[in-house]
Amino acid sequence: MASAAPQAADPGAAIDSDWVLRILARPAPMRTNFVEIRSSRLLKEPLRLSGEYQRPDEHTLVRQVRVPYVETTTITTDAAGASQATVAREGKSPRTFALSRVPELARLQASFGALLAGNRAALASHYDIHAEGTRRKWEMRLVPKAAPLSDKLRDITLYGRGIELRCIETRPVEGDVQRTLLAGAARVAHETTSAAAVMALCRGEPTP
Amino acid sequence: MDARLRFTFALLWLALLLLAGWWISAHLQLTGDLRKFMPAPETPEQKLLIDELGEGPGSRLLLVALSGADAPALAAQSKALHAALAADDQFALVANGDADLDAIPERLRPYRYLLSPTLDVQPLDAAYLAGQLDERVQDLGSPAGALVEPLVGSDPTLETLKVAEALQPANAPQRVQGVWFDRAGKRALLVVQTRAAGFDPTGQQRAVDAINAAYAKARGNGAGAMVLSGPGAFSVEIGGRTEAEAQWIGTFDTIGLVVLLIVAYRSWKIPVLGVLPLASAGLAGLGAVALLFDGVHGITVAFGFTLIGVVQDYPIHLFSHQRPGVTPLQNARALWPTLATGVVSTCIAYFTFLFSGVDGLQQLAVFTVAGLLVAALSTRLLLPRLIDPTPRDFADSRLLARMWAWTRHLPRPRWSLLAFALAALAATALAPGAFWQNDLSKLTPVPADALARDADLRAELGAPDVRYVLTLQGRDDEAVLEASERLRPALDQLVRDGALAGYDMAARYLPSAAVQRARQQSLPDAATLRAALDAALADSPFRADVFGEFVDDVAKAKTLPPLLPAQLAGTPLETAVGGLLLGGSGHATALVSLAGLEDPAEVARVARLNGAALLDMKAASESLVVAYRGRVLAALAVASLLLALTVWIAMRLSVLAQQRVAHATGAPRPPRAGVTGETARRTARVLLPMALTTLLILAVLRLCGVELTLFHLVALILAAGLGLDYALFFDHAGDDYADQLRTLHALIVCSLMTLLVFFLLALSSIPVLRAIGSTVALGVFGNFVLALLISRQPATPNDPDAAGVSDP
Repeated sequence: MASAAPQAADPGAAIDSDWVLRILARPAPMRTNFVEIRSSRLLKEPLRLSGEYQRPDEHTLVRQVRVPYVETTTITTDAAGASQATVAREGKSPRTFALSRVPELARLQASFGALLAGNRAALASHYDIHAEGTRRKWEMRLVPKAAPLSDKLRDITLYGRGIELRCIETRPVEGDVQRTLLAGAARVAHETTSAAAVMALCRGEPTP
Repeated sequence: MDARLRFTFALLWLALLLLAGWWISAHLQLTGDLRKFMPAPETPEQKLLIDELGEGPGSRLLLVALSGADAPALAAQSKALHAALAADDQFALVANGDADLDAIPERLRPYRYLLSPTLDVQPLDAAYLAGQLDERVQDLGSPAGALVEPLVGSDPTLETLKVAEALQPANAPQRVQGVWFDRAGKRALLVVQTRAAGFDPTGQQRAVDAINAAYAKARGNGAGAMVLSGPGAFSVEIGGRTEAEAQWIGTFDTIGLVVLLIVAYRSWKIPVLGVLPLASAGLAGLGAVALLFDGVHGITVAFGFTLIGVVQDYPIHLFSHQRPGVTPLQNARALWPTLATGVVSTCIAYFTFLFSGVDGLQQLAVFTVAGLLVAALSTRLLLPRLIDPTPRDFADSRLLARMWAWTRHLPRPRWSLLAFALAALAATALAPGAFWQNDLSKLTPVPADALARDADLRAELGAPDVRYVLTLQGRDDEAVLEASERLRPALDQLVRDGALAGYDMAARYLPSAAVQRARQQSLPDAATLRAALDAALADSPFRADVFGEFVDDVAKAKTLPPLLPAQLAGTPLETAVGGLLLGGSGHATALVSLAGLEDPAEVARVARLNGAALLDMKAASESLVVAYRGRVLAALAVASLLLALTVWIAMRLSVLAQQRVAHATGAPRPPRAGVTGETARRTARVLLPMALTTLLILAVLRLCGVELTLFHLVALILAAGLGLDYALFFDHAGDDYADQLRTLHALIVCSLMTLLVFFLLALSSIPVLRAIGSTVALGVFGNFVLALLISRQPATPNDPDAAGVSDP
């Protein structure tokens, strides 16, 4: 049995990064809900955003925030490899700019976009990839290889269960950890904003 | 002194010259600064061009395009090149689009409310702040949240970003991988501004070399190619081509001259001895100019070396007249009156340049006078001690005898010369086409593909026009900044109408104090702002206590003295503003650089209506060339009169001397009137060939459709100098048959040498070399033939074939 269906058969089997990348790859079109908790010393309480990530085609990544405001960020990559982002906010005319002007968006494209595309080469060109855990519960850490990415970003850790990516944890060099809950984790997050609860949800640990 | 010792001394002399040449070339400060060469500016445009501008803001820009690799590789090369060049003091500015907020230094941050136009239309009230805070919440929630977060507390309206964005060059290209790329995304683009002036070929060469070296390092072993464009790059490229061509021409010249001299004198030492006066003259000229002026102009050196070409003939006369039975010193003494007449009259002519009031012409005068005197004196005093005292006598040459006999049959034209002169004058005056070419750059044309490449890059980068710039004049910086601001709406309209693609001005970076004060007026006081902020924060996710810095900065901005140009020193804004705002004592000029100028006439009209002027730098510099040429022509007119007078005096002295000799030997003394008549006849015989040849050259050039330039003028002066010497020596040969043959030998060698050198130049593909070459080659030919026809002495009794034919 183990040899017939290895991926489903043995949830306790150890995983490697190839396995994680393989299960994360989603051919376009695809979409997934997210909940993002953004804490800042400037805010009374962490900002809780929910919405949807979409990949309508291979060259486009859409991040649509629905609550507490509506904002759609569309990142497209043209044939020459140049990416640009368009940010559309309610009541404002959309702004378009080259992605290279906003390294943070470029990073999103480089990590999240590459993950969804199953593009190991793109990912490996920016990050060292470490994966550990079992098929039941795994995590994969992406550590930037070089400046300018490594100047701002300590690492990105992906947490998952089985074939489901549940959370992306982004640790900047300065400032607070930012967490994006996806799929099943996003669905159960409800109104959760407490840092500890979000962290537990993200890492798939029992909620305190 | 035996032959070996003599030649050792000659070699020693040569070695000394080489040493001195090496020393001078190491210490000589060659300048390409037009201000050193052109006459003092007179019109307002000329004054601006020469005194304040030196040149337009576009002329010091080098445009760089990197291609031939993928975008990330090109971006990496662009960044490496940027880092290397930014650290190099030769460059005032290096931009590749990789800019960040550091454009505004910390100490100037509170000025953001005075620099940003927000307050012109929008007070910092509760409603505006509330809207801005909402936006900031969304910014924090965006993937770029970490970028914005550190700014929000002190700058919730993100004024810093608005100012930083406004400081980007107008019409900046798109950015890929953080650096500028062309629209197709295939070429990474950079703009480099040199400190060296665009017309300083040495400085531009250094800059181009530095860029090439930095690029080679940035590329490493990777793929890719770099294209450099802009006035500086062109001048370097053309300079290189001119030098390469001049070099091969020089090599052929040297070989040709050595062969010619060896054949003519059957001695391998002659080429070495023959070069000594010319080389000494060149060094003396350079030395004299270096001593008397600070900075020798490159054009002085080029013109000067052309003009002293005449001294190459001096040693030839000595060589050709040397014969057994006469010591070289006696020989030199006998030639001296003729040689000295030529040298003195030419020197007196060049002296007029000293009073031209133009630094460049004064340098030229000093250079040529020093060169001519040193060459003449060394031919008179030093060279005779070094040459072989008993070579073969050219008077024994059968070939020369046959040639001289043949010339006896040539007509001795009189009235036909008048017809010839009139025809040449008519052709010169009536030939179609412009007489003068004032655009010096036409002589060193930029290849068409390079021009197309430049236009393409200039459009991609939105780089300023090299030829046109708008100027605003006023009593101080503030006045011209205010005038610039008043001009802006009209310029924006021109951009919308398509007459202009874009513009740049100092006021875009630094508003006038008046505008800054008006913005200060609309800033709320601390209490009002606090109240507005509290209202805006009431329903906001932001904490109320994080905007203290904002309130402080606004309070500071409200009381700051307006930011003035001087305070920008040491910031990246210094270059941007400094290049466009030229302050002086009691006067200031603001420049508006223009990009993609489609309709100069319309822009000029709109500028005039708004108190600005469109400066056509090409027209201004051409008017300087005209003024320069005017000075040269005036000096030449005086020079020709002085030259004629000098020759007349020399001829009179010579006639009187001959009469004394005749008297001493018992011949009857002719009447006084005979002296004057003979003097006039000989003066005319000496001056006519050069005058007619000048007319001939002008007529031929005009009939060939050539527009004359300063280089033609200089070549004409050289040709006239050569013609004077030819005529003087033909005249000097007198009635001694043997001497006539020796003179014929000397003049054939002289003219063949000069013809060889300048004929090869005339074959050059570079117009400036061609202009000089064709003019002088024509002049040598015309002068030799006319001198032979007009100046040769009449037949003499001891001439075996004494039957001169005169025309009726």
